[in-house]
Amino acid sequence: MSYKIPMGPYHPGLEEPYKLDMICEGETVLDAKLHIGFNFRGIEHLAETRNHIQVIALMERVCGICSFIHTLTLCRAMEGVAGVTAPPRAQYIRVIMAELERLHSHVLWAGIAAKLMGFKTMFMACFEIREKIMDILAAISGNRVNYSMNRIGGVNRDITDPASILKMVEALEGEMARTVIPIFTTSRTARSRCAGIGVLTKEQAVSLGVVGPVARASGLPQDLRKDAPYAAYAELDFDVPVQPDGDVRARLLVRALEIMESCKILRQALAKLPPGEFNTGEEKFNFITGTSTARVEAPRGEVMYSVSWKEGSRNPARVHVRTPTYVVMPAIRWMVKGARLADTPLIQASIDPCYSCTDR
Amino acid sequence: MSPLDSIPEKLGTTDPWVDKGGVHWLALDAAKVRELAKAMNEIHARFITITAYQLPKEEGFRLEYHWDLDGRLLGFSFQITGKSIESIFDLTEAADWIEREIHEEYSLDFVGREYEPLLLRQGETSGVNLRDVVAASSKEKI
Repeated sequence: MSYKIPMGPYHPGLEEPYKLDMICEGETVLDAKLHIGFNFRGIEHLAETRNHIQVIALMERVCGICSFIHTLTLCRAMEGVAGVTAPPRAQYIRVIMAELERLHSHVLWAGIAAKLMGFKTMFMACFEIREKIMDILAAISGNRVNYSMNRIGGVNRDITDPASILKMVEALEGEMARTVIPIFTTSRTARSRCAGIGVLTKEQAVSLGVVGPVARASGLPQDLRKDAPYAAYAELDFDVPVQPDGDVRARLLVRALEIMESCKILRQALAKLPPGEFNTGEEKFNFITGTSTARVEAPRGEVMYSVSWKEGSRNPARVHVRTPTYVVMPAIRWMVKGARLADTPLIQASIDPCYSCTDR
Repeated sequence: MSPLDSIPEKLGTTDPWVDKGGVHWLALDAAKVRELAKAMNEIHARFITITAYQLPKEEGFRLEYHWDLDGRLLGFSFQITGKSIESIFDLTEAADWIEREIHEEYSLDFVGREYEPLLLRQGETSGVNLRDVVAASSKEKI
């Protein structure tokens, strides 16, 4: 006899609301249905009531983890309709901020995943490391969460002492190489809870159009930093980790390896930071009538913004946001099919979901 | 012939690709949306999203479909004078949620599919134009 188990909207493993109705037989999940929209705030519509400065502050609040990425993508799209290009120093500062954000997002996820595996010491270790990354972000921007760094034509704050940040990054890299990476890649607990669990095959990943670490863990080597480089990524050397297995362990490995790649990018970007202005200094812009689209590889995958403007207007005519979790979440249905009920919180967490992003 | 160059021929158009605003655009008739989805599947392009624009007065809607082909962003813009367009959900599984979202927010009908609520909660009406609802309620408050 099958029965339905509703999980959420107050989730046992994650802090944001969403609901998964699972049809089970015994302890095995036969099928599942997802319900989102608990965080629907109508942000895209609100964006049409904000001017070019206010809209940046608004869209920074779409997501609390990748707030920099959202303003970066928005500003790149607005630079398209304003005919502005950020100077080289700003492009490097954008890379540095984006990679620090990827680090703190991946380490945060690693901590939560550890907690769900029943590995609470690791949770504490990850959060201690994450605090240090947030200290660096605060040292650069003055803020821990919403950094207010991006503007049309560059960034608002310079990095005045890259050598000191480089030291902090090297220390972080050492700690992660000593503790987080070996434990996640070799520990028996991690292996037993993650290997062969929540599989998303390559074919399913292609069909669903998933992005980011979830796609890369299913054998798809897609990463906008390589495929369609933006900011200063074309000038930096790094690899895109790909794993073929499509299970929770593969997602864990991809993120662990990405942490090391981010450190590699940060070391290069801080060493090569070019001299010059960090923004164009313009305050007023001549927006032309039209639509501009920008894409950025966020910690969870591709973010896309389409910004439409009418010449002479104070506000954008339309701002559309396509976030990574929006395309990755439907994959949960396939990941939990056939799984044991006890594994489903970890499977859901393994996509590193952001419901605020998804609902907007 | 590259996969990108083969698309106009497959869709029976002689119009060239136009590079604008970071996107390779191709002008197509809305009746060709399903042919487009099939052509994109054939060249293994990745579906990204649909962006809906409500046009002023009675001009209808503009829908922009986006796919990624090896890092290139492809865009196809369709002008809709009525309130419906054929669904591509059965051809492109990834289009499921965005079709449901646009139906909920703009009351546009994607013909050939059923809807379940996505962003809206129980008790709220699905398939109404939320912008019109918000505009009407703002006037009432004034």
